[in-house]
Amino acid sequence: MTQYGMVIDQERCIGCQACATSCMEENNVGLGQAWNRVLTEGGDNIETPAGSYPEDGGDGTGTMSMDFQPTACQHCENAPCVKVCPVNATYTRDDGIVEIDYDKCMGCRYCMAACPYNARVFNYDEPDHVPDEGTGNVPKRPQGVVEKCTFCSHRVEQDLDPACVDACPADARIFGDLDDEESTVSKYVNKYETHRLLEDLETKPSTYYVRGEMTPGRQRSGKELEGTEKKRQAVPDGGDGQ
Amino acid sequence: MSETTSTDGFGTPGKVWLGTLVVLVVAGLFAWFYQLSEGLAVTGMNNVFSWGLYIMLFVFFVGLSAGGLIISSVPKFFHSDRYDSIAALGVLVSFACIVVAGLLIIPDLGRPLKAIGFLLSPDFRSPMVWDFAIVIVYGLFTAGYFWLLTRRDLAARGSRLAFGVKDTAAGRKRDKKLSFWAAAIAIPLAVALHSITGWIFALQIGRGDWFSPLVAPMFIMKALVSGLALMLVVAVLADRFTRFELSRELVPELGKVLGIFVAVHIVYLLAAERLPHAWADSFGFWSITSGFLVGDTLSFWLWTLVGGVIPLALLVLPSLRRQVWAVFTASVFAIVGILFEGVNLIFTGYDQLNIDAAPGVTTGTDYLNYGSNVWATSGSYTPTIVELLISLGLVALGALIVTLGLRFFPVFPDETVETHTRRERPDAAAADGGQARTDGGTDE
Repeated sequence: MTQYGMVIDQERCIGCQACATSCMEENNVGLGQAWNRVLTEGGDNIETPAGSYPEDGGDGTGTMSMDFQPTACQHCENAPCVKVCPVNATYTRDDGIVEIDYDKCMGCRYCMAACPYNARVFNYDEPDHVPDEGTGNVPKRPQGVVEKCTFCSHRVEQDLDPACVDACPADARIFGDLDDEESTVSKYVNKYETHRLLEDLETKPSTYYVRGEMTPGRQRSGKELEGTEKKRQAVPDGGDGQ
Repeated sequence: MSETTSTDGFGTPGKVWLGTLVVLVVAGLFAWFYQLSEGLAVTGMNNVFSWGLYIMLFVFFVGLSAGGLIISSVPKFFHSDRYDSIAALGVLVSFACIVVAGLLIIPDLGRPLKAIGFLLSPDFRSPMVWDFAIVIVYGLFTAGYFWLLTRRDLAARGSRLAFGVKDTAAGRKRDKKLSFWAAAIAIPLAVALHSITGWIFALQIGRGDWFSPLVAPMFIMKALVSGLALMLVVAVLADRFTRFELSRELVPELGKVLGIFVAVHIVYLLAAERLPHAWADSFGFWSITSGFLVGDTLSFWLWTLVGGVIPLALLVLPSLRRQVWAVFTASVFAIVGILFEGVNLIFTGYDQLNIDAAPGVTTGTDYLNYGSNVWATSGSYTPTIVELLISLGLVALGALIVTLGLRFFPVFPDETVETHTRRERPDAAAADGGQARTDGGTDE
């Protein structure tokens, strides 16, 4: 069996929003919607730290801290959204990816009520795109359906990494098969201190977050990822392949 | 409709009332067509607060549908004639409410035609599939039950609605037996309906207060409160404005039952729900007490004060309870309270995000131009005119069902009284001309 999953290293994440932007672009997400968000763990606003400045420069009283938490669909193994969908529009694929059949979705938004991560968005209006014909490699979705991150299943099927993994300049995102013990994601989950979001809800997300010791990136010689090329996209086909 | 009733049509006030209802239904239909063409963007809902007025009212009307069926079926189950005089009216009200509840789901859907998926590809893990099934079964059952309770009287009147059933003594005896069995089905059916509707929410671990084993019993109790209260409101209004006669001794009796229901709901179940949280969250005696007693939202106070304390005060004193106005007022307040209990439930599920770090979640409705703030870290919701019009149209449809039912079905079982009243007040059917709105607002 295959169980696709992702490891996101919050120690490596620099909050550049490249993953969020590339997601919108690749998946043809309507304006004003986001499948993938980079949240700031810190102050009340985006990219503001929590804590206070040192009282007297360098005296050790400063408590400022700021981290980033990229958040999209967690592709839970025990996905509440899949269990509540009355018409089987949201389903779990054999490879563990939680996906939506936009043809079946009747737009009841029960899945949005069920998802603890607010990973889902609904097309209240006809989605707006710039340019009008849209972007990326996924056909646009109609008004009145719920949509969300698919782990870029259209790319994964072509043995490519999801767009966010591809776009991350800090190597903070690793994608792979959690059921394969030799995969980098499995190794990282075993080796580094990881947690999953809202773990106590027992939704069993397939997305792991690293905090504590930083994982090695691709450039460092002698580290795990050295020589592991990103599986990059070749030529965009404008969604024709779907 | 049928020859028997052609002799006494609606009087002028009745026509005004009916006309108003039809106008509201048509306005609701137009609003719905507008919403279909523009999408749910014309509602106040967004990605954070993704269920609004339609679902709040769905929950409310499912609850309202309980009263009549319980009042008519529980005594029948124990072979008692008690409340027989309002049994048929009760079942009629139940039927109207479940129709309204079921229809309220349709405007909530982004693509209503795709609801065919309920039949083509249902997922039996989904509480909504269970609810879909039970609402339809319950609706069909109440319609059949209502016909069972009235068919011999229909036959006596020679109405075509009797569908060939004859009015014979043996037939009436058999129907009595049948209505016992119907009651035996009605009670578990009602329990299932309200529990399953509760479980739509209570199974959602990701929504804070929704995830509670108490939600299903709470739904049953609030259905009993609002259903019985609605039953009383409709009976009092029907007594006043139509040929239906409500026997006076029933009012304090049912008022007492309503008082017990309110007490179990507001005093006992609410306490059982809130005390564990308040106790665990606070340390001092008074902070536990205030955490337990004091709510922090308007809907909480509308629910507990308007819907709990006031009705209880009116119903607890026997001398007050004998006054029709007191029971009527208590019922209206109890209904309003339960409406806001539903509002409160939806708000507690959506007002806060589990992960509320900035910038939060895209609302999906706020994009106007470059630079629009499309993010939210908490939920907020105000229904729009379109939502209100559609909802009001459906409520009017329910009122229409009750009005026409009162008009064309013999909901008053005693034949002698029936002919007597018909002769005396031939035109009065549903001549309340909008009274129900101003009095109850939520009677239907």
